[in-house]
Order: sequence, then structure tokens, then C-alpha cells
Amino acid sequence: MTSFFKRTIGRISEGISQPGFWFVFPAGLIVSSLLIYPIFYNIIISFSNKNLLSQSWEFIGWENYLYILADPAFYTALGVSLKWTAASIFLQLLVGFTLALMLNRVKKFQGFFRAALIIPWAFPGIIIALSWQWILNDIYGFLNNMLMNLNLISSPIYFLSDHKIVFITALCINVWFGAPLMMVNILSALQTVPAEQYEAIQIDGAGPLQAFYHITLRHIRTVIGLLLVLRTIWVFNNFEFLFLLTGGGPGTVTETLPMYAYKTGWMLQQLGRASAVTMLLLIILLAVCLVYFYFLDKWEKEDIYE
Amino acid sequence: MSYDVLFIIHQGVIMKRLVFSVLILMGTVFSACAKKESNNIVIWHSFTQGARKDFFDNMARKFEAENPGVKIEIEVFPWATFQTKWTTGLSTGSLPDISTGLPTQVADMIRADLLLPLNDVIDSIGRADFYEAPLYAFTKDEKNYGISLYSHAHVLWYRKDILAKNGITPPKTWDELAKAVSTLTKVPDYYGLSFPMAKTDYLSTLFLLLTAERSGDHILEKDGTVVLTSPNMIRNIKYWVDIYKKGSPQSSINFATKEQSDLFYKGKAVFDFNSGFHIGGIIQNSPELSNQIAAVPVPMWKTGDPDNGVIASHIPIVIWKQTKNAKIAKQFLAYILKKENYVPFLHSVPAGMLSTLKSISESEEFYNNPIIAAHRDDVKVIQQAVALGKAPGLVFGPQKGTGIIANQGVIEEMFQNIILNNVPVEKAAKDAEDRLNKLINEIK
Repeated sequence: MTSFFKRTIGRISEGISQPGFWFVFPAGLIVSSLLIYPIFYNIIISFSNKNLLSQSWEFIGWENYLYILADPAFYTALGVSLKWTAASIFLQLLVGFTLALMLNRVKKFQGFFRAALIIPWAFPGIIIALSWQWILNDIYGFLNNMLMNLNLISSPIYFLSDHKIVFITALCINVWFGAPLMMVNILSALQTVPAEQYEAIQIDGAGPLQAFYHITLRHIRTVIGLLLVLRTIWVFNNFEFLFLLTGGGPGTVTETLPMYAYKTGWMLQQLGRASAVTMLLLIILLAVCLVYFYFLDKWEKEDIYE
Repeated sequence: MSYDVLFIIHQGVIMKRLVFSVLILMGTVFSACAKKESNNIVIWHSFTQGARKDFFDNMARKFEAENPGVKIEIEVFPWATFQTKWTTGLSTGSLPDISTGLPTQVADMIRADLLLPLNDVIDSIGRADFYEAPLYAFTKDEKNYGISLYSHAHVLWYRKDILAKNGITPPKTWDELAKAVSTLTKVPDYYGLSFPMAKTDYLSTLFLLLTAERSGDHILEKDGTVVLTSPNMIRNIKYWVDIYKKGSPQSSINFATKEQSDLFYKGKAVFDFNSGFHIGGIIQNSPELSNQIAAVPVPMWKTGDPDNGVIASHIPIVIWKQTKNAKIAKQFLAYILKKENYVPFLHSVPAGMLSTLKSISESEEFYNNPIIAAHRDDVKVIQQAVALGKAPGLVFGPQKGTGIIANQGVIEEMFQNIILNNVPVEKAAKDAEDRLNKLINEIK
């Protein structure tokens, strides 16, 4: 045991004596304190009855987790979150990929079109939510008034208050917002695909679809994979967009897990329980990311060994 | 001794003097800072813009000028974020000396023993001059923990022109209101009465309380439990579901305060429940309608029922217990309520903010404002409502459930379940009641 500790300390000292360590150390310290401390504090209070209004709290074991896992509202919010994330990512990828393929073929003014198409991404979430809320308002909204003045509809469409269409409405806005990021990254990746590989596969007698699958997709799949990881985390964790646009309503049709956590912590003042919700959220996201990273690692190895 | 040695000694002496001087200077600066810090007070308020923000800034400067050595630092947070701000400040130990707050938030602060009693401030101004209801709202065990900076009360606003055109008189009972709403709803021109149900606000709770208080129910009862399933409360819930179906825009299911008020300000609603703030809103948004609105008391269930008051909001200003400058903080509170300072404050939102002091309410200086003068009758209706009304959840003083009532979204969700998912009223009410009582029981 003593020799093990001696070896460990020796290795640590060796690492510390490397110049690179000291270059990384300040940044590492800041990231650790900003990231690790809140996570550990969150874990601790998730096992407590910490209340927003009380300065003292006690450990209550697994009570918060058991309460949440028995709460039907948690599963409703989880279902909405999963549906929201899956649909958003799929459609953002589809639209972004299509735009990237189209833009890749544009020779003149590509930069202009790229800049124009990325504009939605440049807006802060709060501006997007409040602007679309105004545009889609059934009484004063621009869209309803325009459609009614053009006699295309006889009564307003309740985009944000009809529980049958509110989810699709919010989804369309989210796709409009998120697709440009996919487009820009995929376009950059497309431009690194060697043109001679297409010529070679043509000579071999392959058709366009085969060229797309074996050349295009193969070259850019790692970029797409990384994009999917990032966007999944961002979309799943996103709070302000749906909160501002619909408030989670009508009913619980657009109430996601982050909103459920917010409601539990800030509206119902149950901070310990809200922390438990966020820990469960973290576990779900980690599980999703592990699946993604499994495929990313597999693809990277395939690319290395080919 | 060589010149080199002398030079070194000389440099050393200079160095010593320099270091000594710097140390003295630092000591002076720090002790000066420390001295200044003890006369600093920090105020948090939520008047984010316009005349009220300017008022506080000016008051602070005036107080500083009249009290040399005192420094007032003001931080402003919107109402919607103040809950987050003070609860976070509580966890981190960074609270101000003075702050405004919402009545339900102050109730939580009182329960958590975070505030300083202000009996001496009230007595120095004259206890008899204060309206009772605002004092009682922030009183526990005969200690007054908050002074109402201003009050307002919900009354029924209506469009005089639309009612006159249809030969309808201002409703005095809830049934008359329901009938008028049904008759006067002419989509898309205007809606009878919007029933707001956003879960991020508490307007459904407020509207439910309007009908409840008129039947002697309070939602949060004296024993600290929530009651939503009594025969009266079921009737009240069904009333509002009916109003939604007959006279509200479908999108009112997502209406918070802004959307609800905008509908009335833009002339799209015939009736609305709100305070004197509606006058300012109409003048700003649709000035041509400013002579077409009027206020009457919240309806009764039966003609001739006694008026025991409904909802009034008394917006308090408090001093936090952890203050190190209680004396200065109390002086500042008393300073704001001096007539020459308080009347201009009330005039910054004319008719929207009513006085906590009787002498000010009855003074000609208060009525010496063109908007208040033009709406004198409406102001009288609101004053009557303020004198009798109580803040939501504070009918029996600060209780465990007071803070929950205004923040929970449970009652809003109950109404949405009834309307969107066709859940029977009795079942939805029972579920909401159980949920709220469970939440209250979890509060220590």
C-alpha cells in the first residue's frame, strides 16, 4: 500500500513538473470550481428538504427521488421533453442538411446566402419567443390578421392556445431557429469532401445515391454526430424558449422537464426536490450522450483503419 | 563611510518613509471606507422605469443631502424576478437594508423571521392615520413588519359606451355580469370578459378569489388549509369556466397580466377586473377611450349582501433584520411618508397607487392631479375597496400557505384541466385542493 501511494505521488509529481500542466492549471481550476462545485452541491441538496424560504435544511435520504418518480407530472414532462428533443433534432438535421446540400451547389454569392440563412440563429431566445408570440397572437397577431384580410381563413388560428397544434407550432419555430447551425457546420464539412472520390465512384459505376451514402455521408458523419450530441443537450436543457412562448401550456402540452424543475424549485419553493429533478435530467442526458459517443468512437475507428 | 554606503542608507530611509506613508494612506482610506460603509444603506425595489423609479432616485439624493454622511445605494429588480432575487440573497447572505416586495412574499419573510418590526416608525407618524387593512396584512403577534407604500384594489372596469349602446347598466351581481358578458361578446370586435389562466401568473387564483370572497370563502382558510371543494367554491369555479366559454378569447388560456391588461387597453374587452392602474394603461394605449371607462365595486352574489371587501393589494416596504443601519433605514421610511414626498410619489402613477395614510387620501393635494380629478368617482370606488379588502392569502394574516397561494400555478392548471381535458369540476377541484394542502404541509 505504501509503495502504491509512493508511486501515485511520484506520478502526480511528474505530471505537475511538466510545463503543460501549469499552462492548463488556471483554466482547469476555474472550470472545476464553476462546474464541479455546483454539481456536487446540487447532489447534496437533492437528498435534503431544502426550501427556498428556510435557511436550515436536513437530509431526508431518497425521499425527493421517490416523490418525483411517483409523480405523474414528472413522466408527462419527461415525455414532452423526449418528444420535443427527438422531433426538433430530427427536423433541424433534415432541414439543415438539405440547405447545406443546396448551398454547396451554389457557386455565386454563397457567402451572402449563408449569412442570410443563419440570421435566425443570431437572435437571442427571448427575442425569438416574444416576437413569435406577437406574430402568432390570435387577436392582434400579424399572421392571423394577414390571413384573414386575404380571406384565406375566416376565423383566427389559435397557434399557441389550441392544445392540438401548439406543439407543432413551437416545433416549427425551433426548427427555423436551429436548422441554420446544422446547415453551416454540415456545409463546412461538405466542402472538405475530396471531389476526386466522386469521380472515382462514378467510374466504378455507382449512382448518385450510392455516392451520397458511401462518400458524402461517410466523410461528414463524425461532424453530424458531434452536432447531434451538442444540439441534443442544448434542446433537451432549453428552458427559456418554451417558457416564454407558451409557459408550458396550454395544460401541460409543452411543459418540459426543465420547466417542471423550475416550477418545483421556484414556484413551489421545493429546492431539494428541484435539485433531484435536475439530477435525473443529468442522468438521462448522460445516458443519451453515451449512446452517441459509442457510435462516434466506432466511426472514428473505422475511419482510422480504412 | 563610503558614498555608496551612504547612498544605500539614504535610499533605505526614503524607502522606509515611502512605505510608512503608503501604509498610513491605506489605513486612512480603509478606515474612511469603513466609516462610510456604516452609514450606507442598500435599497431594493421593483419600480423599474418611469416616474416611480425617478421618485426613489430623487428621494435617495434628497435624504443624503439632508443627512450628510449617509449613502443610499439603490438596486432595481422587476417584480417577476424579485422572488428569485431575495430567496437567493437569503441563501448567500446578501440581503439589502430596505426593500419593497409583494404581499405574499413579505408574508413568507415574516414567517421566516427575516424582518425588523416597524411599530416605532408607525407610531412616530401616527398609528391612527394608517388604514387598518394594510397594517393588519403585515402584522404578527402585534408587531408590524411592513408599511404599505401604496395600496390598490380590484374593481370591475367597464366600457361605458358599449354598455350604453346596448342598454345595459353596470352589473351589481355576478349573474348580471355573466348575462352582460354573454350579450356583449361580439367577436372579433370585442370580448365580454377575458378569464386569464397562464400558469406562470396567478390571475385565475385572483379571479376565483373575487367570487369566493363575496360568498365568505377565502381559498386559504383560517385553519391554514386550502378549500376548493365546498359547494360555494364549486359554484365559483363553474362560474369562471362558464365566463371563459361565453366571453373570453380562446387564447386567454395563456394570458398572464400583460396579455389580460392589453386586451382591455386596446379596447377589445368590455369588462375587466383590475385596479386604478387601468386608467394609466388606457391613457397610454388608447387615450380616446379614457373617458369611456368607469369602475364599480366587484359584484355581489345577491343584491343587498353586505360589502366586506374583496381583494386589495398593499405593497409593502420592509426593513430586513440583518441590517446594520436600522436607525437610518427607519428614518428613510418615515421620510418617504412625509406629505411633501408621499403625494408626488402617489401622483407618479395617478389613481394607480392609493395612500396608506387617511390624511393624505382626504387631502386636496392628493386630488390636485388632472387624471385623479378626471376619475374622482372611480378613485373613490377603489378607495372604498382598499379600505375593506385584503391581500390574497392574507385574510387571516401571514400563514404558512400564503406564499404558496400566489405562486403555485395549481389553480391555473386546475382550470386548464377542466377546459382542455374536460375533467369534471369536482374532480379537478379535489385534485388541486389535495395538491395545495400537501404542499402547505411540507412547509416547516
